[in-house]
Amino acid sequence: MDIRPTLSALRRHKLAAGLLVLEIAVACAILCNAMFMIGSRLSRMDVHTGIDESSLVWLQTDGISDATAVPVTERNLAALRAIGGVTSDAMVVSLPLANQDMNFNPTLDAANTINGPNTQMMLGSPGYLQVLGLKLVAGRDFNNTEYAGTEAWLPQSSSMIVTRALATRLWPGKSALGQAFWIGKRRFQVIGVIDHMVRGELRGSASEYVALFAARPTSMLSALYVLRVDKLARDRVLREAADKLVELNPQMLISQQGTYAELRASYFAGDKAMAWLLVTVCAALLVVTALGIAGLASFWVAQRRRQIGIRRAIGATRGDILRYFQLENFLIVSGGIALGMALAYAINLILMTHYEMPRLPVAYLPIGAITLWLIGQLAVFGPARRASRVPPVVATRSV
Amino acid sequence: MFGYNLELAWHGLRRFPRSTVLVVLTVALGLAACMTTLTLLHVLTADPLPGRSQHIYQAWVDTVQGKAFTTSADMAMNGVSASSGYQRIKLGDAQALLAKHRATRQVVTADMISDVASADGKHVQGSQVILATSSDFVPMFGVPMRYGRNWSVAEEAARTPVVLIDTDLAQKLFATENAVGRRVRLGRTLFQVVGVFAPYAPQPHFYGLDVAAFTGDGGENLYLPYTAALDAGLSPLTADRCDASYKASPGGMPSDPAHCASLGFWVQLDKPAQVAGYRAFLIHYVEQQKVLAGFAKPARAELTSVAAWLKQQDVVPDSVRLNVWLAGSFLLLCMINVAGLLAARFLRRSGEIGIRRALGAPRLAVFLQHVLEAGGACLAGGLVAIPLTWLGVWTLRQQGNDFSGLVHLDPLMFGVLFALALAVGMLVGILPAWRASAVEPGLQVKSE
Repeated sequence: MDIRPTLSALRRHKLAAGLLVLEIAVACAILCNAMFMIGSRLSRMDVHTGIDESSLVWLQTDGISDATAVPVTERNLAALRAIGGVTSDAMVVSLPLANQDMNFNPTLDAANTINGPNTQMMLGSPGYLQVLGLKLVAGRDFNNTEYAGTEAWLPQSSSMIVTRALATRLWPGKSALGQAFWIGKRRFQVIGVIDHMVRGELRGSASEYVALFAARPTSMLSALYVLRVDKLARDRVLREAADKLVELNPQMLISQQGTYAELRASYFAGDKAMAWLLVTVCAALLVVTALGIAGLASFWVAQRRRQIGIRRAIGATRGDILRYFQLENFLIVSGGIALGMALAYAINLILMTHYEMPRLPVAYLPIGAITLWLIGQLAVFGPARRASRVPPVVATRSV
Repeated sequence: MFGYNLELAWHGLRRFPRSTVLVVLTVALGLAACMTTLTLLHVLTADPLPGRSQHIYQAWVDTVQGKAFTTSADMAMNGVSASSGYQRIKLGDAQALLAKHRATRQVVTADMISDVASADGKHVQGSQVILATSSDFVPMFGVPMRYGRNWSVAEEAARTPVVLIDTDLAQKLFATENAVGRRVRLGRTLFQVVGVFAPYAPQPHFYGLDVAAFTGDGGENLYLPYTAALDAGLSPLTADRCDASYKASPGGMPSDPAHCASLGFWVQLDKPAQVAGYRAFLIHYVEQQKVLAGFAKPARAELTSVAAWLKQQDVVPDSVRLNVWLAGSFLLLCMINVAGLLAARFLRRSGEIGIRRALGAPRLAVFLQHVLEAGGACLAGGLVAIPLTWLGVWTLRQQGNDFSGLVHLDPLMFGVLFALALAVGMLVGILPAWRASAVEPGLQVKSE
């Protein structure tokens, strides 16, 4: 089909056609950037925490006890383990994505001159690696003698386990086993490496910088208990565990409790809301664009009834008329997309400088383009079909 | 003539009802999206203490005995800007500045966390954010007192264990609002309730940004003298920095204000001359601190207004501004869409316009008719946008973040909506109306 007559017809409707091109361009630019933002939120929400999340529940307790000598936590852990449906339990200082963590900066020499990256300190009571389902890829787990006390927040035992990400960052190209770092005057040595574990808070490429230590349960009432449970008994176990703890420790408060799935969902609640908002904006934008295209096409069809009739009278088929309007729409949308891609990059550049957004991957441009082409064709189909039904006899009537 | 044009515009709108509905709905969607995000931004950028904040300043002196930060990498990773954290000071400086009394009023602030229990231990509220401050806080920040009194300077100096609580906490602990004379337990210390205030939570929570920039679930529900708080073993939640020589002892305070910059210091200065005087006083004060000489630090002191402080700390989340831009570009898209639709419908009437012009109507009249038609459609869009904006705000309130509870529509935002609708109407109308008024009179009559 020849493009020239279509183009010359468009030249007679410069204003409306120009506005439509501009609209498609703006839609394309917003669409590409919004889809990119949705994509990055979704991939953030997809993070692999490294722990076995499916059957884990937790209880955060608070309170100030008068009797500091009694090993409260050990007794509590034994009581929790006795609840039907509980496979194992432990006390930990934080959980991945719990939005709270304890951090430090290790140094790679005794003189504290070579600084390492900000790292999360993970502490837990005997067996906490199994309870969380963390997977060792090298070395060994802590043994019973290594679960010792803490002093000014630092574990007394000098053994530690690191994540693979931290090992690669601190000792690239070397086996991490046997390596050491310093926190102040204290030296800690790697006895094992786990494949994955994210921090309490995601921090980009540093999200997996975690060093794990062993600690004996303390006497404090305020603690974070994790329980690996039978999946079906989750709710019952949580209820019974809370009752049990309060019964054993009248001064204890259960400040928060839930399944790990809930904790994860609440960490990403903001991302989820933002992703939904962006999806809504994209949908609204496509609907508005489609309605705009359809509205304008209807006007043009009504305005050109006579010309359509003439074309039909001199031999154009219904298909020709239908294709004419489809081609016209394709040309307008293509013009808009060309302009829109440049605009999309411009917007992305602004976002990059002001809002710490990464560069827009090229893959989003064809997705945006195809979506708009499809929307355009869908929107124009109704008016175009109406046009194709204009009978040739219209040509003989005066308007 | 204006009336006649208005009538013509009204007829024009009714002639293509389907396209008019489309225009109105499109404008309404764009306006509602824009208004929803603007409402949120408006709430988050509001003045925390209207009528007071312009006289309140944060005073800061850097007397931490440690090297100035040279690398920002580690700090930046903590999500803390490398400059100076929250510009807090150590206990010794706070006491010295309070004693000198160079400002109209001055207060120390530090948010702490503690379980709060009634004296009999029957009612406990776990992990409450409480505010350790000094006696000027209530008059300076305008805290509305309900019962009892504020604590006195003498009680503060004598480290008397007294507290003020809000009506909510009073209700929860004692099942009555007037809890004056009752006692509450914080840690192992009993405190006497001397006053009860109405729940008070200025937004943004500018004096305690380490807790949260916005406290949509309510502010601190208990105030106590900082002296008594420290005696009770409570400590500030966080510190900006600590002296190099300071190591937290086991079981000790991790952010002991004696060695760590962990107390906010706010002063009320009513006249510009006072502000300049206080700034000079601060600089003089920090220059006197000879002990800092060994750390090769320049003397640093700052006096920051509330507005400047909020700007410097960038309390409004990026996503909120981003959403305004997103909604703004969506409105732009809707406007272009509407302009295209209007252009098409105006030009469809070229015949009539030609006749009107041939009969002697000036260009201006034709232009006016069409701008009015566009304006009318957009005002109708503005009306439809009101329930849509309300729906958008309701959706925002359902989000469970620090500030979602604060979002509400106020009359000002309705004014903004009306103005925006009118501006949008004019903007989208001008181009198509100009094009319509450019129709030549004779030509159209001939072709018909």
